[in-house]
Amino acid sequence: MKKLLYKEFKLCLHPAVFLFMASVLLLFIPNYMFELPCFFICNAIFFVFQQCTLNNDLLFTVTLPVGKREAVKARFAFIVIIQLVFLLLCIPMMFVHNAVYGSQNAAGLDVCPALIASYFIVYSIFNIIYMPTFYKNGYKAGKSFVLSLIGIFAWIFISNGVFITAAASRDVSAFFAWIENNIDCLPTTQAAASIQAAAIIVCAVIYVVLTIVSCRISERNLEKKNI
Amino acid sequence: MNLLEVNSLSKSYKDFSLKDVSFKLEPGYIMGFIGRNGAGKTTTIKSMLNLVSKDGGSVRMNGLEFNDNEVKCKEQLGYIIGEFDCYKHHRLKTIAKVTKRFYDDWDDALYHSYLKRFSIDENKKVDELSAGMRVKFALALALSHNAELFIFDEPTSGLDPVSRDDLLNVFRSVVEDGKRSILFSTHIISDLEKCADFITYIKNGSLVLSTDVESFKQSFRLISGSKHELEGYRHMLLGYKENAFGFTGLIRAEDLENCPNTKNAPADLESIMIYYEKENNNEKAAL
Repeated sequence: MKKLLYKEFKLCLHPAVFLFMASVLLLFIPNYMFELPCFFICNAIFFVFQQCTLNNDLLFTVTLPVGKREAVKARFAFIVIIQLVFLLLCIPMMFVHNAVYGSQNAAGLDVCPALIASYFIVYSIFNIIYMPTFYKNGYKAGKSFVLSLIGIFAWIFISNGVFITAAASRDVSAFFAWIENNIDCLPTTQAAASIQAAAIIVCAVIYVVLTIVSCRISERNLEKKNI
Repeated sequence: MNLLEVNSLSKSYKDFSLKDVSFKLEPGYIMGFIGRNGAGKTTTIKSMLNLVSKDGGSVRMNGLEFNDNEVKCKEQLGYIIGEFDCYKHHRLKTIAKVTKRFYDDWDDALYHSYLKRFSIDENKKVDELSAGMRVKFALALALSHNAELFIFDEPTSGLDPVSRDDLLNVFRSVVEDGKRSILFSTHIISDLEKCADFITYIKNGSLVLSTDVESFKQSFRLISGSKHELEGYRHMLLGYKENAFGFTGLIRAEDLENCPNTKNAPADLESIMIYYEKENNNEKAAL
């Protein structure tokens, strides 16, 4: 695995990964759909797969002394590292955003801990759709990306719709008021902090489980695939 | 013990089937794997290496079942598919740096000696190399980890005659210690005449013959005769060509006694393949 990860970093890392890592700077915008920067990382991963397809990476990898399943596991480890590095970069940016602008966001979810939970969901959707469909054919990187986009944007628009509605309707609905006071805010109360911490943990578990499931399906798909 | 044993390998696609292909290769020999385009050479090689999921059959390398010992078998295997066509925008030294980590027996001095022999500058990027140089780079990688078995799919196709000759000398030097073997597929039959010890011939996914070069050649004869003689011999001919004076055709050596008064001559590898693949041949009995 260590050797394969080394190969991933030396031969598969697309410059777009660094470029899209910089999308963490979008957290400096006062009002924005803050789940989008996370989507840009999915976009960077698509570039990785597309470049690897053009570079015949799969053929090169499976002729090395490794099994097809190990090749898939290494790619997953590589992708997870990229996704988690982006999450880590977001944390200091969140503090800076809130220090400069405060936490109110008119365009959806605030820059708060719950945003990290939402990022885990975006990654989960991407991982469970993109990788298994890609490894089913081994070269249609674009088709798999379009399929994952449908899932990701469905989540982003639905969740943002809820948070925008919650901000507008907090005075008329107890449910939306609860969302505004506990999720779509910087946690200033013990209850809000606990709820957002729980949200992060639950979404992280979903991310881990769906990524493992996706990895298993991808391994099986590549095993059956003729290279 | 055989370095390579392929038993009843089969694989079916919608419009092509590989049918019960079996052959073996002992240490110290070069085996040429021949057949026309689409005959199943690459499918056979890819099925052997699990790049294509086979429907049946087994492959043993150095006594080990490939399916159960894939990593171990691959460590002892040097494999290339034609020219090196991966990571076009990366420098050769980066690719070599990655590759060598996967092989415990990687020999840096040997690798650099091949780079020097093939005049390859490892600071170049893959897309800066000609097709021939890419083949040579792939060979340098494959030959530098002290593998015991080498499988080369069309290794000489992009090379000029001088480079091909140099490469065939490399092949001979690789197997001369008697411990290593090479299986290589090619369309350039003259390369096999120069260096192959064994020939495995495949047609339409089925094995025609796998034997040593001399036995292979002695299994066939070329006969020629007039047009009216053709009618009498047509049923025995594996393939033939007609010309203004008569015909020339390929026949099995054991059928020669049934063709009295015809001119006959030994068949070389190229003639055997050309006549055997002729479209105007008759129904042929299995060899």
